Amino acid sequence: MMFQKPSPSIALENEDDVNGAQMGAGGPDEVETVVGPSVNVEGDFASEGNIIVKGSVSGSVHTSRHLSVETGAKIMANVRAGGARIAGEVRGNIKVKEDLELMATARVVGDIEAKVLKIDAGALLFGKVAMPGLSNTDNKSTARSRGNLSKKGDNPILELAE
Amino acid sequence: MYVYLYDNFLRQKKFDAEIRNVEVRLTDYGIAGKILRLTNYTDAKQIIDDEIKRGAKTVVIVGNDHTFGHVLSRAATCECVFGFLPIGPENTIAEVLGVPVGVSACDVLARRRREKLDIGWMNNRYFVSRLQVKAAAVRVIYDSKFSVAANDLMEVVVCNLQPFYWKRDRDDLEPRVVHPQDGKLEAFLRPLTKKRFWGYKYESPSVFPFEEMEIVGKTPFTLEADGKISKELKVKIKLAHGKIDMVVGRNRKF
Repeated sequence: MMFQKPSPSIALENEDDVNGAQMGAGGPDEVETVVGPSVNVEGDFASEGNIIVKGSVSGSVHTSRHLSVETGAKIMANVRAGGARIAGEVRGNIKVKEDLELMATARVVGDIEAKVLKIDAGALLFGKVAMPGLSNTDNKSTARSRGNLSKKGDNPILELAE
Repeated sequence: MYVYLYDNFLRQKKFDAEIRNVEVRLTDYGIAGKILRLTNYTDAKQIIDDEIKRGAKTVVIVGNDHTFGHVLSRAATCECVFGFLPIGPENTIAEVLGVPVGVSACDVLARRRREKLDIGWMNNRYFVSRLQVKAAAVRVIYDSKFSVAANDLMEVVVCNLQPFYWKRDRDDLEPRVVHPQDGKLEAFLRPLTKKRFWGYKYESPSVFPFEEMEIVGKTPFTLEADGKISKELKVKIKLAHGKIDMVVGRNRKF
């Protein structure tokens, strides 16, 4: 059997061995994913580790850690990340759990949601900005003010005119 | 019982003294055993399976990176402990395993510090150290979720144990090293862009850690896995966790 060619049955046998060997049970990922320049990524691009984008990505981007979009990089996708620093172009909604930093060369077309937002002078942004902490207090304050107004009088505009 | 698989290149006279010293050291430790010589046409799995039936518990590969890849690409599924005695040039895997080259490797073997190693699976065989697709028009699909393509040609290198050395260009004096980490395979994609008149220029590489990937080409591309070259049209690469039980050194890089 020394010179036996690999037959499909042997391949399948071995494949079972591989599948049996705890496939896909990876630990926490510290490895950085780098999308280099002149590389195009299409589809649902997800990673557990940090991502650095220097090329172009279309579809969606998701990481629980930090995302860095370098100058000249282009993302045509919705982005979800733990933290992000954007110096390239993003066309899509960005949702960041912690800090989002838009550098001077950044161009963003889409809505932004972040806990902390830093925008450098020169960055271009077209879209809504929402911050989770503020929206809650804002709702409460509007509710309170509405309550006060209803106690004082029926028409606030008339009151102001008086 | 120990079985030693000697590579054919160790027959050369220049290795005689070193081999003799190694054998003396192994006898001193009381771990000397049966010696088998490998040739290019030897099926390592068959030999190891036969020796396991005869009572072998530890199989020691004696040679260099090529020997290591040649044996383990077939024999990774064998139920035994593997050891490695690196001798001669071209020994980069030994460094990763923390095994010194030459006689002092016997000390590591005698200590029997064992680790389970991950290996890669490619179409119908295993690869231990590295897999490389030479520059070709290929598309890489990761975990059936997203695909990566270059504008022109692309070189793909998948590292498991062997570190990946690359240069920015021909004049780059300091080669850059990327050390593979355990738990995942690392794929390095280096796109080539055309120079103004002729030739190609390497771009900086993209790095994707993965557990399953598929390399698809429109035309057959050249693939080199553990030193074996073949032509493929579609390659599926997976990671098999903890497949090899290996004796490693204290200075291992994982």
